[in-house]
Amino acid sequence: MRIRRELWFGFSLMAIIISVIVIFMPWGNLTNGHLGLLMLALIVVGIMLGFPTAFTLMGMGVFFAWLAYRSVNPDLAVAQVLDLFVQRSYGVMSNDVLIAVPLFVFMGYLVERAALIDRLFRALHLATARVPGSLAVATIVTCAIFATATGIVGAVVTLMGLLAFPAMLKAGYNIKVSAGCVTAGGCLGILIPPSVLLIVYGATAGVSVVQLYAGAFFPGFMLAGLYLGYVIVLAKWKPALMPPLRPEERSVPLSSAMQRLTEYGKHAVAGSLRALRSDSSAVPKRTAFAQFFISLLPLLTIAALLALTYDVATKRAVEVSTAGLELSTGSDGTDSSSQGGGLQEPPADSGGLQEPPAESRGLQESPGEKTQTQGVGAAAGELKETTPELPKPAPAIDQAPTAKTDAVPSTAQAAGRLPTPNWFWITLAICVVVLAIVYALWTWDRLQVFKMLLTSFFPLAILILLVLGSIVFGFATPTEAAAVGAFGGFVLAVVYRSTEHWRAVPQGQPKSQAVGSTLKELGRILKESSFLTAKTSAMVCWLFVGSAIFSAAFALLGGQELVEKWVLSLDMTPLQFMILAQFIIFILGWPLEWTEIIVIFMPIFIPLLPHFNIDPLFFGLLVALNLQTAFLSPPVAMAAFYLKGVAPPHVTLNQIFAGMMPFMAIQVIALVLLYTFPGIGLWLPQVLYK
Amino acid sequence: MQKLLLFIDRLSTLVGHTFSWLIIGLTVLISWEVFSRYVFDNPHAWAFDAMIMLYGTLFMMAGAYTLSVNGHVRGDVLYGFFSPRVQASLDLTLYILFFIPGVVALVWAGYYYAADSWRINEHSNVTAEGPPIYPFKTVIPFAGAILLLQGIVEITRCIICIKQGYWPSRQADVEEVDVDKLKEMVHVTDEDIQKLDAVVVQEQRT
Repeated sequence: MRIRRELWFGFSLMAIIISVIVIFMPWGNLTNGHLGLLMLALIVVGIMLGFPTAFTLMGMGVFFAWLAYRSVNPDLAVAQVLDLFVQRSYGVMSNDVLIAVPLFVFMGYLVERAALIDRLFRALHLATARVPGSLAVATIVTCAIFATATGIVGAVVTLMGLLAFPAMLKAGYNIKVSAGCVTAGGCLGILIPPSVLLIVYGATAGVSVVQLYAGAFFPGFMLAGLYLGYVIVLAKWKPALMPPLRPEERSVPLSSAMQRLTEYGKHAVAGSLRALRSDSSAVPKRTAFAQFFISLLPLLTIAALLALTYDVATKRAVEVSTAGLELSTGSDGTDSSSQGGGLQEPPADSGGLQEPPAESRGLQESPGEKTQTQGVGAAAGELKETTPELPKPAPAIDQAPTAKTDAVPSTAQAAGRLPTPNWFWITLAICVVVLAIVYALWTWDRLQVFKMLLTSFFPLAILILLVLGSIVFGFATPTEAAAVGAFGGFVLAVVYRSTEHWRAVPQGQPKSQAVGSTLKELGRILKESSFLTAKTSAMVCWLFVGSAIFSAAFALLGGQELVEKWVLSLDMTPLQFMILAQFIIFILGWPLEWTEIIVIFMPIFIPLLPHFNIDPLFFGLLVALNLQTAFLSPPVAMAAFYLKGVAPPHVTLNQIFAGMMPFMAIQVIALVLLYTFPGIGLWLPQVLYK
Repeated sequence: MQKLLLFIDRLSTLVGHTFSWLIIGLTVLISWEVFSRYVFDNPHAWAFDAMIMLYGTLFMMAGAYTLSVNGHVRGDVLYGFFSPRVQASLDLTLYILFFIPGVVALVWAGYYYAADSWRINEHSNVTAEGPPIYPFKTVIPFAGAILLLQGIVEITRCIICIKQGYWPSRQADVEEVDVDKLKEMVHVTDEDIQKLDAVVVQEQRT
């Protein structure tokens, strides 16, 4: 019976469109503009018939373009259509925005095949064990991170359906809630940059992808945050839906070496130090030191980040700095410490001054210079630790190798610094407090969870942040960042696959086996990812080839003018227009896919925006948020079908749909929030690019 | 007949697979360019043209391959619920109505477009002394021709399907969401899912 209902839905939609055409077309005197509208209505019907959309667009575009040219000069029509078509196609082939599509898609496939999702989920599951609805929270966070890096809805929902869905059901979670988390979380990759949807929108609407990425950053995290908030509140409010985890599900597996280390005290930092000092050989010194070092990583990272912030915040824009010059500020540091023994700031200040050299080099040489920044981090860390206790950081600074360079440029350099802004001290204070809390609670269990996160969560997060950061801060174009991201994805695949193979070698066998099997698998991963990339980019880009001629025909026929005249005659306020536009897109999201909606319908909406004073960038963010619902709205909700494909047989499609509903409601709330407070999306692009 | 169909399928796939490797070339080229620019301070003027050409060739030549594995996006509101015969008749009509005119126009126009480019020995004008661009434009008629060939295969498939009532088989190819492979990746077996079903049944009872 269900199938009938589906057919009815489609048929009635088609019937409505066709009857509207039949009734409202002025059949007596058809102008070209009316032909354009007819074409638009026919394309919706044509797409719903299920023929590959790219070719529907191509065929119709060619035919209607010919009609348009024929009405002007029948003799030249064919030649003109052919010219237009091939030039438009070549335009797609040489489009410098769309070129990022295959690269991001490739990155996604590589990251997916690195197969780190189960580690990621396990680590997050343990990390969130105490939060209400912990498994649901872990699911959404895993989805957000993984979907962001891969952007493949189908694969993310399927994988989470295999990993998180069973875990939640076994823990006694409600089926609907579990299904909702997996499907809604899996779709987050559509919105959170780097997403292919935003590139496609940018290419269609002529909006800078860089600004779109900067703009979509906060709305994306706001949506994820709303999901999390909903789940946590629900778990608190109705614990029966998401019972707390049983102790055995929460226990953190410790390695035998770490178990022995626990004898030296509960606290991991103190314990590992004690183990380092003790004479007993129960625990190898190397292990103890490794634990100690890993424990220090958060401190070092935050110190490095603070130092970098300090450097950026106090640097004069014009300054051209060389490493030698800046290192020499060490001598200046001695001055300041001798002046102000009582003052707290100066020492820290001089500490800050000492750091820039490597940093500014890091800046010049830019991404990928990890070792260097780490080195700085370590240096900064030492300084930060020493400054509160000792009022004279000078000795440490004197060790700087080039500190002997003459003092003249150094003072000029010091004068070149801007005064430290207040917010920096506030941030510093917050960081110190947070670090203090973290280290107060730093038990062995938490250290172990941190280690698990270190091998799953952080590499992905760093990859995403590097790609996004280099785009947003202008170090690289989206294309370049995508390529480097794809390369990074490959590195991830290499690292994760080789460790897996390394561990899989049975005890006593030579480890060299692992090399062969790893290489074989990497070859397979590269091959499969390339083929899939070719298919996906051909799918997206041929759609553009089709729509290029289609939208040209629409413009030639004057359909656009007619639409504009009609919309303006309605005399709507911007708010009404916006609601109408979003509502149409929402409705179109039921039968159509997002690629089709953006490629076919955005060219119609975009020219209307200036009439209502709407920023195309802002409109794009709303559309991206809106199209999230397209994945969750029945009957064509792809996410639901992917989950159904791997769920236990007794989970019905209706249960999954019911589970998705609250999340759809949250999406609508997010849409309203973004519209009411445009700053959520527009603040970052404005700060960075205006 | 089936053999000929599969042969052309394989041809499209071979072309598609061959050109798929360009994505690796593209990734390496751009990564290297970025590295070279920042570390060696040595950007290359031709890099932009090379990128565009790799990308354009990649997706154009993969068009037929994508068609051969049914990878072009379709509106799936009604289509999936039709019987194979209805699907095939619809497809057949629309192939003749939309696909053939569109792609023939592409091949035809692409041929003259590329020929013009060869005649004037056209070079890219993105940078001074840009690389020759006529080979890139030649991609259009070639990609169109393979696509047309594959389209004829698909039309034959439709006819076979209308005759026999079910779709003739396609060759296997790597899939985006391959459930079995994903199961293997996260070490989940069908038995696990069966066991889980008991949990579901129990919860639904309460």
